[in-house]
Amino acid sequence: MQPDDLARTLSPKLGDLLLGVEPFEGMAGRVRFRREGALDLFRVVRDDLSFTHLSMVGGVDWVDHREVFYVAWSDSLRQYLLLSTDVPAEDPRVESASSVWPSANWHERETWELVGVSFDHHPDLRHLLTPDGYAFHPLLRSFKLHEPEELEVKSRHV
Amino acid sequence: MTTPAARTATPAPSESPAGDLALGKELPMADQPAVPFVEIETLRVKEFIPAAKEALSSLVAEQGQARVIRPVFNWAGRNSLFPLHWGLACCAIEFAAGFGARWDAERFGVVPRSSPRQADLMIVNGTVTWKVAHKLITLYEQMAEPKWVIAMGNCATGGGPFRTAYSVVPGVDKLVPVDVYIAGCPPRPEAMLDGILKLEQLIRERKE
Repeated sequence: MQPDDLARTLSPKLGDLLLGVEPFEGMAGRVRFRREGALDLFRVVRDDLSFTHLSMVGGVDWVDHREVFYVAWSDSLRQYLLLSTDVPAEDPRVESASSVWPSANWHERETWELVGVSFDHHPDLRHLLTPDGYAFHPLLRSFKLHEPEELEVKSRHV
Repeated sequence: MTTPAARTATPAPSESPAGDLALGKELPMADQPAVPFVEIETLRVKEFIPAAKEALSSLVAEQGQARVIRPVFNWAGRNSLFPLHWGLACCAIEFAAGFGARWDAERFGVVPRSSPRQADLMIVNGTVTWKVAHKLITLYEQMAEPKWVIAMGNCATGGGPFRTAYSVVPGVDKLVPVDVYIAGCPPRPEAMLDGILKLEQLIRERKE
């Protein structure tokens, strides 16, 4: 499936929530969308485009904004699809994909704790890799490496 | 075959110089009055045993903890160190190799146990993260006294290359008391055995 085919299917259903479809090496394409249309896009991608498996969710801190990306896999097409959306750094939240793809659950927990993007209507948004009550989002650019003693005081919850 | 001439050439026993002591004659000692050895020894034992009991009990009462009981317990403890059978990171590979055929840590009485209730030694072999820290403390508290901790490798000793990382405990001595530190990244099984022998030396000198 080519980016043109993706756009032909997606644009009538999403309208202006779809920002563009670009070619992306190794994948069917890269779909950029507004975060308000996240759930609609996920359903269309899963049901109409047959990308039934969500392979990963991640986040990038671009300092002025943050980007959340999803990689979906289609068994019938044998292709990956990259979905990405930008969220403002002062209000980093996006709708959770775990109601469409249950495998998004843990990936979104990890993205939340490392990049600081909150996922609305997530069933269980707890810490995954860091201890409960951990005070940092370590993969943000503003995160500075701490002296061990300072970090110990802030992260000791045992 | 002996000829009759050879038989007559042999001197008779009664004509030998030691004829009085030869077999068949009564010994001179037998003529003396019998000494009551059994009675004398019985009396001495009857005197000795209460004295020995008293001496032993006073020794145990005065110095027993330091001279009798503690050395026995230390001897038993240092020859049956049962480490907790777990692994955190790559040091666990060396830990496992130390119990293989080539190094055979079991000849020092070191047998890994899968339950902390049966273990009295915790070898922290790997990077400890803050996420696993409270589980490590739980395992340590589940171990029965007396118990010891060996920090194996640079990560457990002081955080190693991940010392400034956001998720790593900079040294397991922040969480539990450590008796022996083993340097290396990872330390070879010989170094692990050396650390165990160092710990045995510590237990040998243990006072309380």
